Amino acid sequence: MMVNDNKERALSILSRGDGKLKAHLNSCVRCGLCAESCIFYLSTGEERYIPARKVDLVSSVYRRYNTLPGKLVPGLVKARELDEETVMEMVDLLYGSCTMCGRCTAHCSVGVDISYLVRIGRAMLAEMEMVPSTLQSTVDAAIKTGNNMGIPVDDLIDTLEWLEEDLQDDVGDPSAAIPVNKSNVSILYTLNPREPKFFPLSISAMAKIFYAAGESWTLSTKMYDVTNYAYYSGNLNEAREIARRLRDAMFDLNARTCVLAECGHGSRSFRWEGPNYLQSSYSFETITSVELISRYLKEGRIRLDKSLNKERFTLHDPCNLVRSGGIFEEQRLILENAVSDFVEMNPYGYDNYCCGGGGGQLAMSEYGDRRLKAGELKVKQIKNTGAVTVVTPCHNCVDQLMQLNQVYKMNVKIKTLAEVVADALIL
Amino acid sequence: MHWYIILSLGALVICLSFCLYHFFRLLRYGTPTDFSHRLGNISAGIKYSFTGAMSPSKKESAYLHLPTYSAGILYHVGTFMAIIIFILRLTGLRFPVVLSYILAFILIITAISGTGILIKRISIRKLRELSCPDDYISNILVTLLQFITALLLTGHVYQSVYYVTAALLLLYIPVGKLRHLVYFFAARYQLGYFYGWRGSWPPSKKY
Repeated sequence: MMVNDNKERALSILSRGDGKLKAHLNSCVRCGLCAESCIFYLSTGEERYIPARKVDLVSSVYRRYNTLPGKLVPGLVKARELDEETVMEMVDLLYGSCTMCGRCTAHCSVGVDISYLVRIGRAMLAEMEMVPSTLQSTVDAAIKTGNNMGIPVDDLIDTLEWLEEDLQDDVGDPSAAIPVNKSNVSILYTLNPREPKFFPLSISAMAKIFYAAGESWTLSTKMYDVTNYAYYSGNLNEAREIARRLRDAMFDLNARTCVLAECGHGSRSFRWEGPNYLQSSYSFETITSVELISRYLKEGRIRLDKSLNKERFTLHDPCNLVRSGGIFEEQRLILENAVSDFVEMNPYGYDNYCCGGGGGQLAMSEYGDRRLKAGELKVKQIKNTGAVTVVTPCHNCVDQLMQLNQVYKMNVKIKTLAEVVADALIL
Repeated sequence: MHWYIILSLGALVICLSFCLYHFFRLLRYGTPTDFSHRLGNISAGIKYSFTGAMSPSKKESAYLHLPTYSAGILYHVGTFMAIIIFILRLTGLRFPVVLSYILAFILIITAISGTGILIKRISIRKLRELSCPDDYISNILVTLLQFITALLLTGHVYQSVYYVTAALLLLYIPVGKLRHLVYFFAARYQLGYFYGWRGSWPPSKKY
C-alpha cells in the first residue's frame, strides 16, 4: 500500500526543473512505431509491451499533476492518477518487461529517450518502496557486504590465491601474480562478483592478459564489485553509495586508471552515471577492459595468434556498452586479431537486439519466463550466424546467453572477450 | 476587421505565447549537466540526431513503416504550409491564381496523408489501445485546416470557416500532444547530446 509521503516524493521527481526530463515527457505522439524495436513486443506480440505504453505510464502521471489540461480534463489527454492500479502496472511494465536496452530510443520517430523515462518511472517506484524484492535484495547485498553476491573477503582471497597458482603454472613463471590491495599502481581492476563465484576462469584470463602486457595492477578486496543494481532499481541514494565506494577504493589505493570488468551495466553505472550520482567528475581515468585490451593491441603490448581460435565466432554487443556507451570498434579490433573466423549477427552493433538479461531482469526471478521468451530473438540471431562460440564482453549477458543456450538448445559455447584473447595470447 | 479574423489573431497570440513560454523555459533549464568524462563529439551527435538518425536508411521506425513514414513527412510539410499560409493571409498577402492551385493541390495530398494516419490509428487495435481523445482531436484539427486551406485557396470555402478552423487548431496546440511542435526539437537535441557525449552518435563507419 502506498504511503502519501512516498507518493509525494515520487511525484516530485516529475516536477523538477530539468530540460531533458521535460523534453522527453512532452514529446511522445503515440505513433506506436517503436513496437518493432522492442524484444518483449517482438517475441510475444503483446500490445502492452509496446515501448510507447511504458512512456505513457510515466507521462500520463506527469500530465495529471503538472499540466492544466491534465488537471482539468484528464480524460481528454489521458492523464492518470498515481494510484494503486497505476503503480502496479508500472511495476509490471517498467521492471518486468523492459531491459532499458535503449533500442526503442535510438529508433523512436520523434526522439523520445524511452529508456530514460523508464528509469525515471523506476526511480518513482523506488521512492514508493515498490522495487521488486528480488532486485532489492541484490542491491541490499551490495550495500551490506560490498558485493552483490555477498561473497566474504576470505573466500575471495582463497579463490584469488588458487587462481594465482594456476596462472603461474599456465605462464611458467612463479613470479606471475594476481595482486591484491597494492597501492600506487596504474590500474585498479574490478570484477563482476559472478566471476569469483561462478566463472573464476575469466579472472585468470584477464590476469594472463595483464601479465602479458607487463601491467602494474591490483584488485581491491574492500571494493571490487563493478555492478550497481541500484542503477536498475532506480534508488538514487543506493546507486550513489555504491559508486562512492568504488571511487573511494581508487583514492585509497592511489591507482591512476579504473578498469571496469566485462559488465555492460556496471561500466555504464560507474563510468557514465557514477559522476552524476556523485555530482563531481572523477580525477582519474575510467575505461572498460574492452578498451584496455584494444589499447594493448594497438600499442603492441600484447600479441595474439588468431589461428589458436579456429572455430566460428560471433559477437553479442551488450546494449549498455555499445548503444549507451559508444564502445563499438574496440571489440571488433580485438576479435579481428584473436579469432580466424568471425561473423556478425544481423542486426549488430548499435542496432543489436538485447539478449533479454539487462535491466536487472536476471535478478528478478518472478519475470524469468518472460525474460527467456524475450531472448528468442537473440537465439535466432545466433543460430543464423552458424557460430560455434558466442563472445560477449558482459557477464550479465553471459548468464542470459547460457540460460538461452540450455533452454533453446543452441549448442554453442559462451565466452567473455578476455577468455578469447587469453586463448590466443603469444607469451 | 471581421470577428473571425480577430478570433484567429487572438488564438495565434495565445498559441505563440504558449510556445514561447515553453521554449524559453527549456532554454532557462540550459544544456544538460554531465559530470562524466566525455568520449564523443556533442555537436556531431546533435547534428546526426537531426539528420542521419532521422533518415529512413537508419531509423527502424521509418524503414519498417515506409508508407506511414512518408505520410507522416507529407503531413508535417502540409501542417507547416497551412500555418505559414495562415500567417501570410493575416498580413494581407494573396497568391497568384496558379500558385494558389499548386499549393491547394499539395495541401490536398498532405491532408489525405493525415486522413490515412487517422484511419490507421482507428483501424489497428494496438494503435487504438494506445490512443486517447487527444490523438484523434489533434489529427482531425490539423487535417481539417489543411483541407480548408486548400479550399480557401481555390475559393471554395467561406473565410469565416477558414479562420475559425485555424483558431480552433491554434487554441488546441497548448492542450495536448501538438505541443511536440516545441518539444520535438528539444527531445532530438537532448538525444543527440546524450549519444554524442558518449560517442554513440554519429555511429562509427568502421566495420
